[in-house]
Amino acid sequence: VQPPEKPLQAEEWNKLRENFQLPEIFEEVMLNSMIRCNSPIDVAKSLLTHVAKRNGDIAYNVLVKYLTLCVQQGQVSEIRDVYDIMKVRFKVLESGAYSLLIKGLSNSDQWRMAFTLLEEVKKIVIPSRTCYESCIKAASRHQEMELAFQLYKEMLAKDVVPTLDLLQSFFNFSRGMKGAELQEELFGILLYLRENQIYPHRTFMRTIKLWFESVPGGNWKGHLTKITDSGQCPVCKHQLEDSNLTEEEYSNLSEKIIRDVIHGTDTFRKTSPKEFEAFQAFVENRLPFDIVIDGLNVSHIKSRKMQCENLFDAVNCLAKENARLLVLGRKHMLMNNSNWKREIMKEMQNKADFFFAENISEDDAFLLYATLRSGKHCRFVTRDFLRDHKACLSDSLTRHLFRKWQRGHQIAFYSSANGRSINFLSKKKVFPFIFFQQPALRYDCVVQTTGDTWHIPYKDVFEEKYSYQVPRKWLCIQQKS
Amino acid sequence: MQCANMLLRKIVRSSVLPFAAQHVMKKDLFPLSRTLSLSLCLKQDKSCEASEKLDLDEWKKVMKSSLQEEVSETVLEPRELSGLAAARETLEMWRLAGRAVPENISEEQLKTFMECPSKSAKKKYLKYLHLKELHKKIAKRKRDEKREGRLEAQDQASNTDETKKSSFICLWSSTMDKAYSWRAAQSMIFGQPLVFDMSYEKEMSLREVTNTVRQIVMSESSNRRSVDPFHIHFCNFKDDSLYHREFIKHYREAWGKLLITVTDQCYTEIFPKDKLIYLTADSPKVMKTFDHDKIYIVGSMVDKSIKTGVSLARAKRLGLETAALPLDKYLLWSSGAKNLTLDQMMHILLTLKDTADWEKALEFVPKRKCCGFVNKPVTELKKTLDLINTLKLGKAREKVEKKFAKKHPREYKIK
Repeated sequence: VQPPEKPLQAEEWNKLRENFQLPEIFEEVMLNSMIRCNSPIDVAKSLLTHVAKRNGDIAYNVLVKYLTLCVQQGQVSEIRDVYDIMKVRFKVLESGAYSLLIKGLSNSDQWRMAFTLLEEVKKIVIPSRTCYESCIKAASRHQEMELAFQLYKEMLAKDVVPTLDLLQSFFNFSRGMKGAELQEELFGILLYLRENQIYPHRTFMRTIKLWFESVPGGNWKGHLTKITDSGQCPVCKHQLEDSNLTEEEYSNLSEKIIRDVIHGTDTFRKTSPKEFEAFQAFVENRLPFDIVIDGLNVSHIKSRKMQCENLFDAVNCLAKENARLLVLGRKHMLMNNSNWKREIMKEMQNKADFFFAENISEDDAFLLYATLRSGKHCRFVTRDFLRDHKACLSDSLTRHLFRKWQRGHQIAFYSSANGRSINFLSKKKVFPFIFFQQPALRYDCVVQTTGDTWHIPYKDVFEEKYSYQVPRKWLCIQQKS
Repeated sequence: MQCANMLLRKIVRSSVLPFAAQHVMKKDLFPLSRTLSLSLCLKQDKSCEASEKLDLDEWKKVMKSSLQEEVSETVLEPRELSGLAAARETLEMWRLAGRAVPENISEEQLKTFMECPSKSAKKKYLKYLHLKELHKKIAKRKRDEKREGRLEAQDQASNTDETKKSSFICLWSSTMDKAYSWRAAQSMIFGQPLVFDMSYEKEMSLREVTNTVRQIVMSESSNRRSVDPFHIHFCNFKDDSLYHREFIKHYREAWGKLLITVTDQCYTEIFPKDKLIYLTADSPKVMKTFDHDKIYIVGSMVDKSIKTGVSLARAKRLGLETAALPLDKYLLWSSGAKNLTLDQMMHILLTLKDTADWEKALEFVPKRKCCGFVNKPVTELKKTLDLINTLKLGKAREKVEKKFAKKHPREYKIK
């Protein structure tokens, strides 16, 4: 339905309503389309007047829709009136109306009322993050940073995840403000980004940069840069944090992977205790390996080639470095057939250690175990993102550790576009090889600080970034004394 | 008074004061006499422009005035409510706001609602209750209509009173029951065993257990009605388990009279191991023929979260042979998980037992999950599959859009 342009008389509304297919929901539909077309508020008022005269009452959902229209147009006095009516008419309101009210009032000079409303919401449910966001933004817009941070902390304590937009607004509104406490709070936000491995986008990064440079007497200077593969910042020559886990983190991760990924609720789901024991014994006898290869995964890289040839190429290429290799596979690879030639398999077994799991076992779990058991220098080769294994880990902290470890230790092969002789980039040498490799990063890609420098990775807004990729662009901020 | 009012209105109208001023003045100056004066105004100004004689804020007054009486009542009630009452109040508001919330909610359901760990869990639970209520209402309406129809038919029948002659007394249902029981009793002695493995209670949520039991009840009834029933065994069945409680809810006193074997023993203790075959969709082995000498085991589990390999792990641990239905061999699979419901499994197994005809048996696979039987060369099949998928997806999109359009006016969105 098309909403009218001018307020209508009762008779005219009646006529419209009668012509409508479902007269019971006429008001709702009409208000919805008013919201969509952003109709003048007077039109909506005339509809409400018509309803009120006919029924002597206006249904709650109609009121809420009217409220939506008011909030959309920032009609503060109307919002207040509707709130007054609702408050007397209904004992409690539901969260939808509250968040509309909060949103509407926080943008006005009556923004403090939004805080009272937030308190009321807390009595019923945990407020949504948009509610918190509106209130916090209102407070920081009026330079009440203390109040804003208090709410922000409350929000985090309730496990409500803030939007990047909200975090950005903190930096935006504190620009040029003084105070050691404020600075600490903002550093806290940067550390929040670090802990949760969140990367700010370009505009957010700019706000951060502007804030740093605006701190009175701070002498901060920011530069946009790219970090070299060695992990050194070209601007300030600082070496970025190493991607390796600490001893404690490492043993913690190994333990959790054995417990949650390999055994899980039932060892029989991925392997069997007997097989796992055999594998453990096998690994212990041959430790340590330098590279562990997921044989089946690598064998599927080029579909035109025979599977064992693919594997053979990969093994050959990695074996040149005198590395100790372990290839994980399944028993069916030993059956001599069109994809797995016995002679080639024999030849490979001279160059690398092989372990063949049962056909119904999961070899990925073995891959993780063997790599972790070999030590920090050991890397593994697979194109698999290992998401299902990450998901088996019970807590988010361990999952973050897993991601970090994976970034530093996984070598991923990709078949190149033309597939002839493309360089295979490793940390040390360049191999002529038919695959190219996503190198394991030497430095850790998170927000980091040394006190007088900050390094913040960021992503371009329009750049497509998958969750497994890390941004290559950095903001380097250093303090000149 | 009336004249003064008119005068003032004219002043306001002719002046360039903003709209807000008009409200404030009206509110402040004429708090009591407005309705009266306005209605008079309306009568007199019939020739005026429509928008001019409309009082746009009249609805507020109506709302507030209708409140006056109610307020005096509600004030007496305590403002702070206890947890349950407050939750009930909030639910009522959600319902008014047009969310999927049931009209009536019992104390027990309210408690379950409050124990839901997250907002989305709460929403889902409410939606479930809402739909349940809706279905109940529809069923009741249909029942009532049917009864009315029957009464009418009876009236007509009594008019044309006529005695029918027949050599049987009309006792169909109880006679059939006896016949079924007789067959089931025979199967208890001579029938091929079929095992339901009841050891998955820990892997399931309460609702999944409820669904499992419902599916088993349906399986049992279709088994009882078949020509040559299985001898059903419930193995690993613990008394006072969730399964047990749900079964009693369904069968009531008939639970003790069921012609099946219920035991807390494992199937490996009752039957020789080499005769057992565990049916699971995760099995690498595909069932070729139905073997009348084997004992098939079906895991009594509904897994809505698709926990892969749970039943395969169980079979592996006990060293049992496993098998999966040859779904891919006979059916052109389109979507959905390959695990079937227990009653579908029962239908398939019964049909296999009677006819050994895979096509007939796999008729019981839900039609939405497959596009038909494999009977042409694979390349041609692929083409049709693609065609079907595009058609289907196209249709599906239309459907979704229609649904959305239907739903949209009722929902309101917070922007």
